[in-house]
Amino acid sequence: MNDNLHERAQRHLAESIVEGLRPADEAWLREHLAVCPACAREAAATQNVLHALRSVPVSLPRDLAARTQLRVRLRAQQTSPAANGSFWLWVVTAASWLLGVFSAPLVWRGFAWLGANFGLPKLALEFGFVLWWTVPPLLAAAIILHQKALTAEWSNKH
Amino acid sequence: MTDDTQALAIGLRQRDPDLLDRLIEQYQQRLYRYLLFLTANPSLAEDLFQETWIRVLERGSQYNGKSKFESWLFAIARNLVIDASRRKKISSLEDLGDPESNAPYDPPDERTSSVLQMLVSRENEQSVQLSLLKIPPYYREVLLLRFNEELALEEIAAVTATPISTVKSRLYRGLAALKTAMTEGAA
Repeated sequence: MNDNLHERAQRHLAESIVEGLRPADEAWLREHLAVCPACAREAAATQNVLHALRSVPVSLPRDLAARTQLRVRLRAQQTSPAANGSFWLWVVTAASWLLGVFSAPLVWRGFAWLGANFGLPKLALEFGFVLWWTVPPLLAAAIILHQKALTAEWSNKH
Repeated sequence: MTDDTQALAIGLRQRDPDLLDRLIEQYQQRLYRYLLFLTANPSLAEDLFQETWIRVLERGSQYNGKSKFESWLFAIARNLVIDASRRKKISSLEDLGDPESNAPYDPPDERTSSVLQMLVSRENEQSVQLSLLKIPPYYREVLLLRFNEELALEEIAAVTATPISTVKSRLYRGLAALKTAMTEGAA
């Protein structure tokens, strides 16, 4: 039996494992292994390697799945707009802005009434009117920024 | 796209926490083993395991359901391993992104080997475990994906972002390297 036959057998052995063989090559290899003890040993050794590779046990660290699930859920809560409350904050802010626009004439009348009854200077009334509109959105913006800062801090820690 | 992967894609897009819990349970063994094979470092593998699922949560919308979920999952994990290797200069992971380079491969030192060895519970399997540490990580990776995960060549190519011809070549060389390492170990 010449070296070329053994080389072909080795090549087919590897091919049969990695990508499969054509039926004709498979039949040839089977016949060759039946009559060639050296190549048969090589085939058995290869199968042993594969078997050992497939049966390598790996011990999972304790509670790895549970710890990961907890961390993923926390991250989901931190990064979800609906869950961390900023979604509703935006809704409330938008609603208050719309109400503010439509109620502006009434509010101005209220300020005018205060001025007429309590003799407040016009400048104070105008300043109060401006504050009436600017304080709520400024507060909302401050809360949102604070929440984002907390989220970023949490993300850095974890 | 199968119904299963389509449902999975929708659930991931919606960041369904119950679905993520189930996936973590289902894939914990396979993902951790893959990371351990690549890093040979249990502590790092654990960190990357958790980081992989955070990525799955954050990038779930990118899974289109056209490929197997595990292929997508392993690709995410692999990218994290490469990032970690660049950040921490882990010697056993060098060249993972450029495996065809001609740089010689240095096996991990005995300390690293002993850490991984602790995870092996049966004596007759220590031989293959230690032999695996002696071969380059890009061979370990394809051997695991092909013979443990039983991914198709095309799927391995997708995970490793390499052509199928490269995957085949790494499998042939990896098998040869593993056999040699085991033979040397037994001698």
